[in-house]
Amino acid sequence: MIKINNLDFAYNNTQVFKNISLEFEKGNIYGLLGENGVGKTTLLKLICGLQKPQHGSVTVDGLTPSMRQPQFLQNVYFLPEEVITEDTTPEKFIQKIGVFYPRYDFALFNQLMKELEVDLAKKFNELSHGQKKKALLACALSLQTDYLFLDEPTNGLDIPSKALFRKVISQYCNDETTVIISTHQVKDVENLIDPIIILDRDDVLLKASFAEITKKLYFEYGPERLQNAYYTEMLPGGYINVMPNEDGLESNINIEALFNAVMKNKETIKNLMQNE
Amino acid sequence: MNNTLNINRFGKILKHDGLNFFPNLILTLAILWAIPVIVYLAVALMPTNDTKDAVDAFSRVDLISALANIAIIIAPARLYRYCNDSRKGIGYAMLPASTLEKFLSMLIYCVIVTPIVYVAGALAIDSILALFQGPYEGFAVSIYFDTFAKINAVFQRDGIMLDESFMLYYASISPIFMLILSAIGTLAISSIFMFGNMIFKKRKTGKMLGILIILFIIFMIVVINYVAHNEAINLYFQQMNDDNKAEFIKNIIFRIMDITFYAEIIISALMLFGVYRKIKTQKY
Repeated sequence: MIKINNLDFAYNNTQVFKNISLEFEKGNIYGLLGENGVGKTTLLKLICGLQKPQHGSVTVDGLTPSMRQPQFLQNVYFLPEEVITEDTTPEKFIQKIGVFYPRYDFALFNQLMKELEVDLAKKFNELSHGQKKKALLACALSLQTDYLFLDEPTNGLDIPSKALFRKVISQYCNDETTVIISTHQVKDVENLIDPIIILDRDDVLLKASFAEITKKLYFEYGPERLQNAYYTEMLPGGYINVMPNEDGLESNINIEALFNAVMKNKETIKNLMQNE
Repeated sequence: MNNTLNINRFGKILKHDGLNFFPNLILTLAILWAIPVIVYLAVALMPTNDTKDAVDAFSRVDLISALANIAIIIAPARLYRYCNDSRKGIGYAMLPASTLEKFLSMLIYCVIVTPIVYVAGALAIDSILALFQGPYEGFAVSIYFDTFAKINAVFQRDGIMLDESFMLYYASISPIFMLILSAIGTLAISSIFMFGNMIFKKRKTGKMLGILIILFIIFMIVVINYVAHNEAINLYFQQMNDDNKAEFIKNIIFRIMDITFYAEIIISALMLFGVYRKIKTQKY
């Protein structure tokens, strides 16, 4: 379990987080959403131990990430947004780093590479950006770490690859695996993530499961704009209205509409979600 | 789980660094290996008495030692160039090995493997060249580890007459102690550039060399000023006859050697502590 308590973090004079507290439970695929520059990558780096909190604490299964102990490191894998790879094949790369991870499975790597349709024989620098990302995803999943942090993993993937990405993540992450996917391309991770965390500048606007969200918010798809909606957007064939769920109705979440609704009604939705 | 030092894990990081990082140094070593070959060819093509003297076994040992020092200076930035890079260094930082294991692996490659590989290669090349009927006479390998003979040869070549106490002093030092002295010198040079590699993001070796040159100039200015303006020292020196002066200079040399020895140990310890701290706390 990941626990963040009263975290303060700033780059020089730019405050990124101010007294935020969050918990990530095992076995979930979290969607970390937010506009550019709100600190999604920084939060992942703090959880990985690549940055250190100025105040407050971050712990992963009771261990402090910034101490970078092997016991912690062998249970986490961070796939950065910017793909930097060596002049080697994915196969050689995973063989070099895999030995450090106790549950690393080379057969699984080969299987994932096949499923993600990446050429095993090619070197990283011979692969396209999207192919590199998929190869690194295969590497990350084959390590079978308890925690997997993916920073904008769908950037640069074509449409079929995005579907493959969703497929392998949902297929190969078991009940013990916690995945945090940071993205601003919310549609790419629809039907994959639950719960959702929406970050704002130095604050957490929303952290809730789909069940909790639909309990409080109603996503109405209809022919017209509704006056009491937090957010309305025109879709082909009508409108989507994000409204308070006063009657306890069931609805399907549209993550993009939810995100926009939260961004337009920060305090209102934050208070709504906090009220029991 | 031992989070500080585990032999199995240490072996893995050693293998990882060897496979991933050491090949980055091979080109540099190849260039440094090529220099004695170029010297050989130049002398073979333009043989004069002066050039032949310049490539006797002792001179070649000097050249190989100097090039080994260059290899040591360059090695940290070639081997671990990206370990403090905010993007490219993430993979290294996230490798499941302890700070101590990563530090020891870095130390082994920079301080032990690099000079051994370079010197072994250079001596092998020298031996091959010495086998031919060419300008190389004698084998550098036969005297490379004989520090006493090397020092003696250098003094003789430079026309400096060694007095008996010097000879006795060097003769009294055991070969193992001389090897330790040499190893500490290597460690001091390497640790300085390892530290430079950790604190600078770009042009790491150049910046560290620049700092050392500036520090050396400042140090020399301070020492020369102190000696030149210290009346007591000047008066003491003026009152000495030639024999006393020689004795005085000899004692100064011995004292400088002692100070250098301790300074190298202190500098190495401080620099290596700094390297360890940077590996542990580097932000990405």
